Amino acid sequence: MRLSFEAVSYSYEGAAAEKKRARSKREARRADWGNAPDALWALRDVTFAVEPGEFLGIAGHTGSGKSTLIQHMNGLVHPTEGRVLADGRDLVEKGVAHEVRQQVGLVFQYPENQLFANTVYDDVAFGPRNMKLAEEEVDRRVREGLALVGLSFDELRDRSPFDLSGGQQRRVAFAGVLAMEPEVLVLDEPVAGLDPLSREEFLGLIRDLHGGGRTVVMVSHSMEDLAALSDRILVLSEGRVFALGTPAEVFADAAALKAVGLGAPAPEAFAGELRAAGFALPRALYDERTLAADIAAQLGCVRAEEPSHG
Amino acid sequence: MEETFVQFADAGFTYDGERFVFRHLDLTVPQGQFLCLLGGNGSGKSTLAKHINALLVPDEGSVRTFGADTRDADQTFFIRSNAGLVFQNPDDQLVASLIENDVAFGPENLGVPNPELRERVTSALAEVGLQGFEAHETNALSGGQKQRVAIAGVLAMDPAILILDEATAMLDPRGRAGLLRVVRELHGAGMTIVMITHYMEEAAQAERVVVLDGGQVRMDGAPGEVLTRADELRALSLEVPFACRLSLELQKRGVPVPTCITDDALKEELCALASKR
Amino acid sequence: MASRAIIGQYWPEESLVHAMDPRVKFILSLVLMVAVFCAATPVSLAVAALFVVGFYSASRIPLLQAVRAIGPLLVLVVLTALLNVLFVQGGRVYFEFGIICVSEKGLQSAAFIGCRLLLLLMGMSLLTLTTTTLDITAAFERLLAPLSRIGVPAHELGMILGIALRFLPQFMTELGTIYRAQKSRGATFTANPFRGGIQSLTALLIPLFTSAFRHAETLSLAMEARCYHGGEGITRLTPLRLTWRDAVGSAALALMIACVIAANYLPL
Repeated sequence: MRLSFEAVSYSYEGAAAEKKRARSKREARRADWGNAPDALWALRDVTFAVEPGEFLGIAGHTGSGKSTLIQHMNGLVHPTEGRVLADGRDLVEKGVAHEVRQQVGLVFQYPENQLFANTVYDDVAFGPRNMKLAEEEVDRRVREGLALVGLSFDELRDRSPFDLSGGQQRRVAFAGVLAMEPEVLVLDEPVAGLDPLSREEFLGLIRDLHGGGRTVVMVSHSMEDLAALSDRILVLSEGRVFALGTPAEVFADAAALKAVGLGAPAPEAFAGELRAAGFALPRALYDERTLAADIAAQLGCVRAEEPSHG
Repeated sequence: MEETFVQFADAGFTYDGERFVFRHLDLTVPQGQFLCLLGGNGSGKSTLAKHINALLVPDEGSVRTFGADTRDADQTFFIRSNAGLVFQNPDDQLVASLIENDVAFGPENLGVPNPELRERVTSALAEVGLQGFEAHETNALSGGQKQRVAIAGVLAMDPAILILDEATAMLDPRGRAGLLRVVRELHGAGMTIVMITHYMEEAAQAERVVVLDGGQVRMDGAPGEVLTRADELRALSLEVPFACRLSLELQKRGVPVPTCITDDALKEELCALASKR
Repeated sequence: MASRAIIGQYWPEESLVHAMDPRVKFILSLVLMVAVFCAATPVSLAVAALFVVGFYSASRIPLLQAVRAIGPLLVLVVLTALLNVLFVQGGRVYFEFGIICVSEKGLQSAAFIGCRLLLLLMGMSLLTLTTTTLDITAAFERLLAPLSRIGVPAHELGMILGIALRFLPQFMTELGTIYRAQKSRGATFTANPFRGGIQSLTALLIPLFTSAFRHAETLSLAMEARCYHGGEGITRLTPLRLTWRDAVGSAALALMIACVIAANYLPL
């Protein structure tokens, strides 16, 4: 499925905005930082498309409109101006959003906070049951969903999701979305709050899901994760598309990224510092190994096992 | 003379009477130290933090804070007002709708009278870089700002130790950097800091790093000593700082650099090598 | 934004009424209701209305805002008036259709009762428009304080109210997130709650309650860590203090009652 955004702008309720202006006096008392009041437009003139099969990373600091953007992808919110098309069909049209929701799986931040059923089985089955599937089909999908996230169906099916560890709860929540068998998986900060070990495991899982042919859209604060996984990265700033391109293209201009409150991935940032100190580092995008190899070459120590990739 | 602020002596604690979160634990924190506690999930680090200010008391051995036994109920308020604890989730620890009321909550409970109470609120907010925000609503703040308000609420009790229990875990990079800056400034002004985290760049800023696993102290030393033991850290499911990983890759390729823990240190080493050639 | 609409309708302004002690305002708003009830004739009601309008101008709140603050309760006013039109009979009959009969007395009574109710509501709104919820909580707690001797947990009630107000907007936000997350999983919330909708409802409420309990657990620890131990021996950042404004306000209210009662005896 191809999701295309055409000149999408989104404002928190036009009516509320009017009222706000009329009550400017009251607003003066509100904190005028954080979610600044001039962020009346959460998105401004956003145009791009999520191509079938790609891994699209989305970066931007808090309040840049990332969450609002991904909620447009399955029609939870509709643009104030412009339109969002799923394979050419406007999500605003009657019934389209509901249908698209079965093909675009949206996993919210801290998804374990949305678990509710008595058993893991029932929780994972919630989505498929809402799709009015036959009970055998629901059963098959629950098994497959749990298998995809690396949880044992037999061990967990009758357990209460609330008795599981935090990492397991998140996997169950993931499985609940995967059981709807979406073509596009949209993830909002999927590894937030996890410890380093579970973070690695989870990123591996996401990589596998993408490898299995799904389109993945991932919002993340971690530039390292985005650089390692994404085919393309979209950078949002104050609701606008600030940059869109391959990781190498996006991270080429570290200074510009810094201006919108984002850093480059650690190896790339370090390479930038070394370049400034006179090192010649020609690659467009570095990871640890390629960087170490090029530095070693620069310093004339080429006793290297050549890096196997990159 | 440096005073011992916190002392765990052969301490043990169990929630259920069977499995000990930690046992036979010895650990001391001297006055003025910036200590960072690292450990994976279930290593016992949060439970340990709650022992410092008597929210939990040991079942075996003893914990003394400022020399006072945490099991002595008469000393509880003395200990809690002097050892301030900031929690992980910013949404769980603010009690009032207005910033000034929240910051005043601790000293109000301690019975601090008014002109001084107002001064404490003002100066605590200034210390976390939120001067002038007394009358703002806590709900309108970002996560990083809420955590800074939480720190101000603790500072208003005028503590000698600040304990941060994964206080940066739920923040974005910007909020995290801001919080760390505040913590370093406080330490510069003489505050003793016990910081629990799993971010290595934060640990690298500390004076001493203690790694816990299964309720036991596995490593204890200066960051340069502990954070460079990459294999051991990985075995305890902890991350290794980027500079350290790159140093190791470089060493594998025959570049004669020491194992560094900060980017700046590694950059200096490399520049020195380059100029020698 | 949504939270604003739910908790109170405080209208920040620098005025005499705003600066009054919330405890005094709390009591005076009760007195104001009594005064309005005292008005038995159209003339004395007009006198009462003059006073209410006067109070609003002293508070610098536009009258339109006062009416807007009453909002949905205006329906109550209209409904009461309509019932009076229908059920009070007497005098000239203007309109008759089946059992519906609009008479002179009916219209008079509708106008009188409607105006009285409107004044009552405006009087109550004056308190919430000029006082932050926080101050109302504080006033409530401290007015109850004398009762703590006979076992009423005044401090705790105040604390509970304060924390509820602090967490209300947060729960609204969380509920919004849960709602959208479950909707993403194909849940429909418009369906009949008695047919399959129940599960959708639990899909909203269970996560919300779970989160509330989680918050409560840490919050109580956090309060303990900050030396919370009930109301004994605590001090206040913003102590409530009576000023000349409170004397002026009380005098104005006393004058109002006197005028309203006097107007009742005016021959008209």
